[in-house]
Amino acid sequence: MANVMECRHLWKTYKQHIVAVKDVSMQIGKGEIKLIFGPSGSGKSTFLRCMAMLTLPDKGDIFLGDECLTKPGVDLNKARARIGFVFQHICLFRHLTALGNVELALRRVLKFPKEVARERALQALREVKMEEWAHHYPAQLSGGQQQRVGIARALARNPDIILLDEPTSALDPELIGEVIDTLRDLATKGATMLIVSHEMPFAREVADEMIFYDEGKIVETGPPEHFFKNPHSERARKFLTRLIKKTQREQNA
Amino acid sequence: MLDVFQQLQLMLGGVSTTLAISILSLFFGFIIGLPLAFIRSYEKSLGFLVDVFEKVFRGVPELVLMLMFYFGFGLFVPFPFGNAFFTAVFVLSLRSAANQSQIFRGAIRGVGEEQMVAGSSLGLSRWQSIVRVMIPQVFIFSTPGLGSEYALLVKDSAYAFVLGVIEIMKVTDMIRAATYDPVTPYLASAFLYILLTFPIATYLDAWGSRKKKKLGL
Repeated sequence: MANVMECRHLWKTYKQHIVAVKDVSMQIGKGEIKLIFGPSGSGKSTFLRCMAMLTLPDKGDIFLGDECLTKPGVDLNKARARIGFVFQHICLFRHLTALGNVELALRRVLKFPKEVARERALQALREVKMEEWAHHYPAQLSGGQQQRVGIARALARNPDIILLDEPTSALDPELIGEVIDTLRDLATKGATMLIVSHEMPFAREVADEMIFYDEGKIVETGPPEHFFKNPHSERARKFLTRLIKKTQREQNA
Repeated sequence: MLDVFQQLQLMLGGVSTTLAISILSLFFGFIIGLPLAFIRSYEKSLGFLVDVFEKVFRGVPELVLMLMFYFGFGLFVPFPFGNAFFTAVFVLSLRSAANQSQIFRGAIRGVGEEQMVAGSSLGLSRWQSIVRVMIPQVFIFSTPGLGSEYALLVKDSAYAFVLGVIEIMKVTDMIRAATYDPVTPYLASAFLYILLTFPIATYLDAWGSRKKKKLGL
């Protein structure tokens, strides 16, 4: 199976001493869903931002399909246009309506004519069930609705892969469900996704592989069942136990 | 002697000159100040040059700058600094550019780096992100500052009086000299200045606040 995205021996250091990404290698194939989880401050977000070349890695290579993004002289804007990115803090453009947010890259990056861009943007909003809110500004939407627009914005260009950085962790608990539903829809449609998330029931349901990430490194990988039944590393076991307890508490509450 | 009708006619001319100086300076200040703010925010290597420019034009009194450019440089470079109106607009534009650069820099920080990152994540170039994402929001963020900058320019345009530009202050002086009335002309000009500054500055502020509330900025 051809890899949609791959990284080899990736390194990223902040301020000379905080190593967020330590020699990380991974690949993700077409239609695969991989889910990264791990303690906060372990460098998961930095890793994901490196993969999207939003933060430039210090060392190592990133491949999008056959193209190496870390070579000098690569048109990064063109590469980023093929990667969808969903932010933890949503980061919608506040001066544009939901439709404007989704339309912007279609018009200015892919250079679609106005009508085509509009049609495609509306279709993306339909996929996240936000079509009727198309003409509202982000400030007029709830957090969950905003994040669904964020997802529509990321997928409207038909990217090769969608990277999601804790898409539900900034939302109120009662708004998480609608976003998870949207992601589940995407999964069933065969989208390739790399997700940083702590939504364990969701992970169990859709992830092909889970990746436990700690202190800038991939500590352990495996299918969800492996993690829920018998993780090898002590750190993963402890972290998961805590996480599952928390999830149960929330579900009982 | 000047009759009332002549006085009014003179005053009207003064008002239009004052407005011309203020609006042209605000416009050129915007054209220069906005790029400066982005350079200062995003190109750290050139940022210090912007800093020096800001310090000079915010630190030296307008009166000193105007006299220096008009009588000093005007002597050696009669065109364009021999023209009083041009020199007044020139100095006030640069002063305003320095002020507006600061206003916009604050706004850029207020809009936030994340918006630029979101732009890049879609494949927009830096330039496209600045034009399509940042500037519209920066402008809304800056409206109160721009309103007071406009008011400041209207007031500071009075310095053009010393270069002989026939604006409100100069007309006031002419009328005072012709009528021997040292009170009414000043009161009239004070009233005119308030009329020129207050409504526009207030309107800009209100428009910006409304917009900000709507967009959650």
